[in-house]
Amino acid sequence: MSGAPGMIMLTVALPLLAAFLLPVLDRVSATLARVTGPALLALGVVMVWQLWASASPASVIAIGGFAPPLGIVFYIDRLSLLFTLLVLLLTLMLWPYGKDTSIREMSLTLLLAAAACGLALSGDIFNIYVFYELASVASFGLVSATRTGPAFIAAVRYVIISGFGTVLALTGIALVYTQTGTLNLAQLSQLAPQQLDNVIGMIAFVLILLGIGVKAELFPVNTWVPEVYATAKKRVTALLAGLISKLAVIVLVRLLVLVFHSEQALQILLVLGVLGVISGELAAWRSRDVSRMLAYSSIGQIGLVFIAFSIPGEAGVMAGLALALHHLVAKPALFLLADRWGNSIAGLRGAAKASPVAAALFVLFALSLVGVPPLPGFWAKLLLVTGLLSQPASAYWLAMAVILLATVLEANYFFRVVVTLYDAPEHTSTAASAQGHGRLNLATSAVFGVALLAAVIFITPVQQYLHATSVQVSDTQAYIDSVFAHNGERQ
Amino acid sequence: MTLPDPGIVLYSGAIGLVVIGIAGIVLSRNLFRILLALAIAEAGANMLLVLAGFRFDAIAPIVTGASTAMVDPVPQAMVLTAIVIGVGIQALALSLILQVYRIYGTLDMRVLSQKLEQSISAEAGVMPGNSQDAPLDDWSMPATASVVAQLEKQS
Repeated sequence: MSGAPGMIMLTVALPLLAAFLLPVLDRVSATLARVTGPALLALGVVMVWQLWASASPASVIAIGGFAPPLGIVFYIDRLSLLFTLLVLLLTLMLWPYGKDTSIREMSLTLLLAAAACGLALSGDIFNIYVFYELASVASFGLVSATRTGPAFIAAVRYVIISGFGTVLALTGIALVYTQTGTLNLAQLSQLAPQQLDNVIGMIAFVLILLGIGVKAELFPVNTWVPEVYATAKKRVTALLAGLISKLAVIVLVRLLVLVFHSEQALQILLVLGVLGVISGELAAWRSRDVSRMLAYSSIGQIGLVFIAFSIPGEAGVMAGLALALHHLVAKPALFLLADRWGNSIAGLRGAAKASPVAAALFVLFALSLVGVPPLPGFWAKLLLVTGLLSQPASAYWLAMAVILLATVLEANYFFRVVVTLYDAPEHTSTAASAQGHGRLNLATSAVFGVALLAAVIFITPVQQYLHATSVQVSDTQAYIDSVFAHNGERQ
Repeated sequence: MTLPDPGIVLYSGAIGLVVIGIAGIVLSRNLFRILLALAIAEAGANMLLVLAGFRFDAIAPIVTGASTAMVDPVPQAMVLTAIVIGVGIQALALSLILQVYRIYGTLDMRVLSQKLEQSISAEAGVMPGNSQDAPLDDWSMPATASVVAQLEKQS
């Protein structure tokens, strides 16, 4: 295997192919079908890792050999490589390993992985829409996989909100096309200053933002989040909350940096982010069950990410990336731990006695999400606050006040759980006994915990890497140049 | 009376469809009606996309060798993709709605969200009244009372 950039196509193509072949393969050999998914994902991780090691600055793949403005391109830079790697790694970690998993769920998980890789890599706005829809369909199937009444209701509502978002995004894309006549992100970026810097461009941005914001848990279109996260299997929830929401955020950031970098666009993002933080954190503070508390807290955390990306320049991109990556590690682990203890906060009483490791991990992640110093969460929030401080506009100062208040709320509701965990049990509670996939979930969240602690030790290289990435992401001209100069390395 | 410019009629028609669809999604209570409204909105968005590349003085984009102007084929290809995706999602949504109807015997969104709230709360072992939407005192609004009555009748 050479580290040719074209190899990255396989991270989309192979899981996609396997997703549709799995049911057939299952007829031939059930064991083979069960092994195929994880094996392909592991292969993908190896391939992306090799590309990472070869570390070419940025390259472009023209799919099918059609040159960029007309053909569809995959754009490979630090950001897209990082997220492709994370997609494959997280799917591998959160793969439904249980013996009772149906083959359909495995197919859908592979489909989700393929679509997510495509979202991270694609450099064409319509292609992004197609991958986004693919990811949506896969997640609808996964969410309703428990086949219980509440899961079906939650899934239907999720489908409808998603469909609503799709219509908005498609209308936005149509508006962009009427103004510019292109869908290629690089060409859009060239044309945007003249042709999208008007009311129609702004409307298109808002429509696309709301459309893709459905998956990104953006403020007005996130009503599906608590009910879906409370009813779906926790491994699916972890995948959606950890990975798919971040990918939607990354797509939005690409669009924001390349195409819609006007001041109003940033202000809209700031306002929606602040509203997301306020509504999410307050709802989390009021909720009485663990799943929905974590779901609302996830809305709040992603609001923070949006606030970070609304800071103009590299500082904002870096703070946003740091927050997004931190949430990507911490939230799936918290959902997996919550699965272990059932759903009610009262039932957690004394659970630390029964499972001390799980309780310790919960405390670790909660501390990091709140932002207690040596942990990476503190560093990510510090980046956000310093970024906000450097802005003269008073709106950013207001945002900072909201963030600090939100941190207090976060500390309050997380410590409420922690206190209950370490409370002496009144009577020997049965809720604390681990059942089902308890051991697997504990192991997975322990891996996330190790990653979090490793980030504490290697904070300097991580910081350098993120800085270089955000510099590269913010460099619009380089993006345009590399798309048109290469004119595509033939596949 | 002269007819307005056909372009304006078509554009306002497309945007009108999207608006009608969105109004339907927001205002309807029946899940099936919401899905139909979604289909209308999607049709509007697709029409907008076709219009983005349409010219009245041009022919269909089929290469024949004649040197007349052609309609932009890219939006038409995209609309084909979008229609296929839309149909797939509507079929999936219908099958999910069918499952919901089999289990609960109703398609009323308000009743269903109450049941959802109840079952999540019951699983968590807390009273559904503790949710953020519940009124503080014991009094209930007329709408809520009718929903509760309906719930009791079904259970």
